Amino acid sequence: MKNQIKKTKRYFDTESQDSALNTKPEDQKVEVYNIKITPNLLKANKFKSNKNNVFKKPTHNNDKIKYKGKAPIDKSKLEVHSRGEGIGKSVKHPLHAAKLRKKEKKVNYAQDQAARAEILLTEDHGALEVDEDSKTTAISQKIIAENVDITAASKIFELNLDFGPYRAKYSRNGRHLLLGSNKGHLAAFDWVTKKLHFEINVMESIHDISWLHVETMLAAAQKEWLYIYDNTGTEIHCVKKIDKILRMEFLPYHFLLAAVNEFGFMTWLDISMGEIVGHYNNRLGRTSVMTQNPYNATLCLGNSKGVVSLWSPSVKDPLAKILCHKTPLTAIAVDNRGMYMATSGVDRSMKIWDIRNLDGPVQDYRLRSAPVYLEFSQKDMLAVGLDDVVEIYNNCCSQTTEKPYLRHRMGKTINNFKFCPYEDVLGIGTRSGFTSILVPGSGEPNFDALESNPFQTKKQRKEAEVKALLDKIPPELITLNPFDITEVDVPSMQEQMEAKKKLLYLKPKKMDFTPRNKKKLKGKSFIARKKIIKDVARKEFIEQAKEAKKILDLPEAQVAKKPSFGVLDRFVSNPKPKK
Amino acid sequence: MEDIEDNEHVALEHDRLVSAISKLDKTQYITEPTRNEATNVNSEFNLIKNKNRLNLSNVAKILENTSHHVQISKKLKKTQDESKVLTKPLEKPQAERIKRATGYEETTKRVGRWDPVVARSRTVDYVTFPLKHVSTKLQPTGEFLSKFKSKSDLEKELEELDPPTIEENDEEDEKMFPMSYEEMVEHRQHIAKIRAQQSYKAAKSKRQGKIKSKKYHRVLKKEKLKQQLKEFEELQKKDPEEALKKLEALEKGRALERHTLRHKNTGKWAKNKLIRAKYDKEVRQQLAEQLAVSRSLTQKTQNSQSSDDEIETETIPDLNLAQDPTNPWMLQRSDKSNVNTEFNFGYKKFLQNKMKRNEDTDSEPSETEQSNVEKQVEKKLNKIRGNIERLERASRLENKKAKVNNTERDNLEYLKFKPTKVKAVIDEELIETASKKVDEINNGHGITPVSKVLNGDQLPAQQSTDSNIDPTRFIDVKPKYLNTALSQVENEYDQLDDDEKVVPKVNIEEVFEEDDVVASFRQEKEDEKNKDKPEDIILSLPGWGSWGGKGVKPQKRRKNRFIINAAPKMPRRDENKGDIIIKEYKDPKLVSHKVQDVPFPFESVKDYEASIRAPLGNTFIPEKAHKKLIRPSIITKAGTIIEPMDEEELLVPKNRSFKNEAVMKILGCKSKKQKITIK
Repeated sequence: MKNQIKKTKRYFDTESQDSALNTKPEDQKVEVYNIKITPNLLKANKFKSNKNNVFKKPTHNNDKIKYKGKAPIDKSKLEVHSRGEGIGKSVKHPLHAAKLRKKEKKVNYAQDQAARAEILLTEDHGALEVDEDSKTTAISQKIIAENVDITAASKIFELNLDFGPYRAKYSRNGRHLLLGSNKGHLAAFDWVTKKLHFEINVMESIHDISWLHVETMLAAAQKEWLYIYDNTGTEIHCVKKIDKILRMEFLPYHFLLAAVNEFGFMTWLDISMGEIVGHYNNRLGRTSVMTQNPYNATLCLGNSKGVVSLWSPSVKDPLAKILCHKTPLTAIAVDNRGMYMATSGVDRSMKIWDIRNLDGPVQDYRLRSAPVYLEFSQKDMLAVGLDDVVEIYNNCCSQTTEKPYLRHRMGKTINNFKFCPYEDVLGIGTRSGFTSILVPGSGEPNFDALESNPFQTKKQRKEAEVKALLDKIPPELITLNPFDITEVDVPSMQEQMEAKKKLLYLKPKKMDFTPRNKKKLKGKSFIARKKIIKDVARKEFIEQAKEAKKILDLPEAQVAKKPSFGVLDRFVSNPKPKK
Repeated sequence: MEDIEDNEHVALEHDRLVSAISKLDKTQYITEPTRNEATNVNSEFNLIKNKNRLNLSNVAKILENTSHHVQISKKLKKTQDESKVLTKPLEKPQAERIKRATGYEETTKRVGRWDPVVARSRTVDYVTFPLKHVSTKLQPTGEFLSKFKSKSDLEKELEELDPPTIEENDEEDEKMFPMSYEEMVEHRQHIAKIRAQQSYKAAKSKRQGKIKSKKYHRVLKKEKLKQQLKEFEELQKKDPEEALKKLEALEKGRALERHTLRHKNTGKWAKNKLIRAKYDKEVRQQLAEQLAVSRSLTQKTQNSQSSDDEIETETIPDLNLAQDPTNPWMLQRSDKSNVNTEFNFGYKKFLQNKMKRNEDTDSEPSETEQSNVEKQVEKKLNKIRGNIERLERASRLENKKAKVNNTERDNLEYLKFKPTKVKAVIDEELIETASKKVDEINNGHGITPVSKVLNGDQLPAQQSTDSNIDPTRFIDVKPKYLNTALSQVENEYDQLDDDEKVVPKVNIEEVFEEDDVVASFRQEKEDEKNKDKPEDIILSLPGWGSWGGKGVKPQKRRKNRFIINAAPKMPRRDENKGDIIIKEYKDPKLVSHKVQDVPFPFESVKDYEASIRAPLGNTFIPEKAHKKLIRPSIITKAGTIIEPMDEEELLVPKNRSFKNEAVMKILGCKSKKQKITIK
């Protein structure tokens, strides 16, 4: 029965193997010897087989291989994704040390992967390019509209509305726009498709508006209370605990709606639970200059004395105060990475501060008129609103800029403006409507769909909402340094140590042993019981003290031995140790 | 006939002579009782002792001659040849002990084979169960063959471009042996080996137990000591902690010996010798040696802190005291020299002489071997102790060096009545442990016990404070005048060109400026600074030790003496930052979220923080890395039977090639400990 598969010749079969096969004809007669296998024979055989099985590494000819493994990663890119220095060698336990080494490898792998994945970020942010002798400010929206494609051109539009100064805010994915006017006009729409979600008049003045975590919910700070509407304009809630709000900010990762009111009361409302997590008076008086620092979710409040103060819900005093201007502040803006803060005062100056290190000013600009509003784009362009002109500055933080990048003149005064996330669009709320202009290179060209997706479907939105809720950060973690949580609380660790140290020198505490019922218990007299309790307490204390000693690793007190004179030791003077 | 008579005569004569001679000796010889006839009654007076047993060979010899009984004789001989007398079996407990010892060795060997397997499975990232992947499907031949297909042209071309690397075949095909036979042979061999080992050990212990030679035991003990010392020295290099333990064990052994009355010359042997000691010099010497041994044993190791040189000076026996010229008590007694001399005879005198000689020469060459060994041990132990001491001292010194800067932390330092200015260097800026400087410093320290963790971390703060001072901060940024557009409502400069620099004539600042803004802010900062500044405590009591009351001014110096300088607080974050106030606060709500203790395998804050520095979520890192990082440590395939490991696992190459000795050792230790507890 010869059912043999003919071995196909493979490219990796070397010559020698072939020849070896050839020299062994199948039909060769095999003599069979009847050998009794002794252990010694086995041993010898083993040895032999081992000798034959000595593993020979196939020697690669490096010249033959053209492409050696993966492409190397750019070191600067790796540096960007670095998580800092790894674990040192102080872990002595070999098992845990081995495990940590493995984990370290994985972390490095993640870093590599992240650097490699950058190849997927294909988009690059654009910019206006002009000849050397001309200026970018000379390019008006009209010229831009003529030169871009239709879809982009359609993003330049103007809404003429009648209900007084408007405030505009984009949703976090940049798809939806919310407009609220001082005279009660509230409207939400998908501004890309221009599809209106709803449009109502709340018949009250609206001081500020804000999208909540999804585009189906929005908050409007009306004359008296805070109202929450859904995307059809139905009033869902009226939060009477928060009244007379001047400014609002939504902190998306904490699910907090932060507001400051006319009397200087600051309120943080947890919209996932409907609870107020922080409510106190800032004692700064009325101020309507507020913004959030996206880096650490603190609120930046500017007051009439030129001081910017940073606030968190859990601390009733400002975390930090910066004297920015000598005159009342008109506007504050913090960039997306939380690196720079731009402030402007009535003194017609504009300063850039290093908000991360709380230092500055980095730049000091003097303008011809006092800005009414400031805003950073995702790519760190700074829009400055000057009455009816918007000027956009590029690269004005790390270096001193000479002239604006873009300038847009409108016939109406500016109320506020926002850069649209993931778009090169600046939406301006004005006294008589809303204007949308193109600012090339202002938006982040690559979006992370898991983070915020402009093309989100309904299902994705639901999914993202649940995930965001699961990842919700507790409000206590709002501090100046967002990485506080990753650090060991060393001061309290020290305190604990001290407490343990003290334990060493304490006397075991005394106890009152009178029992509730003085009856004899299980044949044990009161005295016996007392003794038992005492013993237990003492033992416990000793155990604790021992543990403390172990933890503290105290060096034992060394008593110098004196020379012994035998019986005559009694005559050696023995001074009492000083205490 | 005559001949016969003659002969008889001679014989008679001879007999007479013999009897006469025998009569000279008057002792009575009792003839050995012999049994002549078969009888049931044995006289109690002449019981036959079974002294000369029946020698079968003699019987056989008789039978040998007759051809008829050849067979029987042969059989007899054979039985005699084979009947070897077995040695008396060991006592049961001893035998059991030996059995246990060999059994233990065997089991440790057998179980030890699993060490790499266990260690690997513990260290590995994840384990998948079932361990063996056996495809449950049995494919029909046709289906199996259909999967093979020749390469496409594109593939061939690609291969030409980039020849794929030849996969290394790690796994060798194990040859199939008739396992049952091999196993059987091995098993038998194994059992025989164990039995042999047992019997060897039994015989050896029996032999050794019987040895009564004092010298032998002495040598044995010496060897043991040497061995222990050797081990100890090795350990000292490898694992100082273990070495310390060992040292303690050695100490304990010594203490035990001290505790007993050995070498005190209280034994029977010593008493016997003592009788002869007066006359025999050699015996005196022996006794003296014994006493010396006991002395060297009972001597307390006082010199644990002193170096080697001090040892010899400190080992002064009591006898020395008598010779101390400065000691008045001793001098007095030396007058009564007759008493002393009375006692100073025999070996005591010898011992004294010897001690004196030792003192003079400052060395101990004439000691016996054993005491030599003992002293060597002592010396070495002392050396070791000295080493350990030195190490500790060195580490303490290091600590001190590290502490020099933040000694102010020490409360005692504050409490000193010193008017000296204390540098403010406490550092609770440990919050910034992630900063690079801390890392660098921490790297400097090797092992950091928990108490040192803090110390190590305290260092960097100063340096960071140094870096905080930056002269550029105080230099105002030059204002840059920008030619911004002006609203058309009130523009006077409208006609101006963009490039023309316009500096407003009236400084608008001055119009709006509130003069006290800056001053009040600075005042606020000062207040904030002073708010949590600890105040000096004045303990001086007016009128205490001097005149007090109205009009009496207390001395300034005296007053200053009783001021306890408050502990300086750590520098504020906003110390050198100009018009910026950063609040120093401790948020109890935040503290509840933070880790307050460095968990087990970590010994420094920095390392622990490094271990939790990297995020795992898929929103932070690529999906592939995320999956890798969150993979569970045990993956079981649902719906499969998980068989226990069998011995084949020992042969798996990855297990065989596992070489992390340290992990194996620690896991082995753990298992051993468990075993001990089970026992």
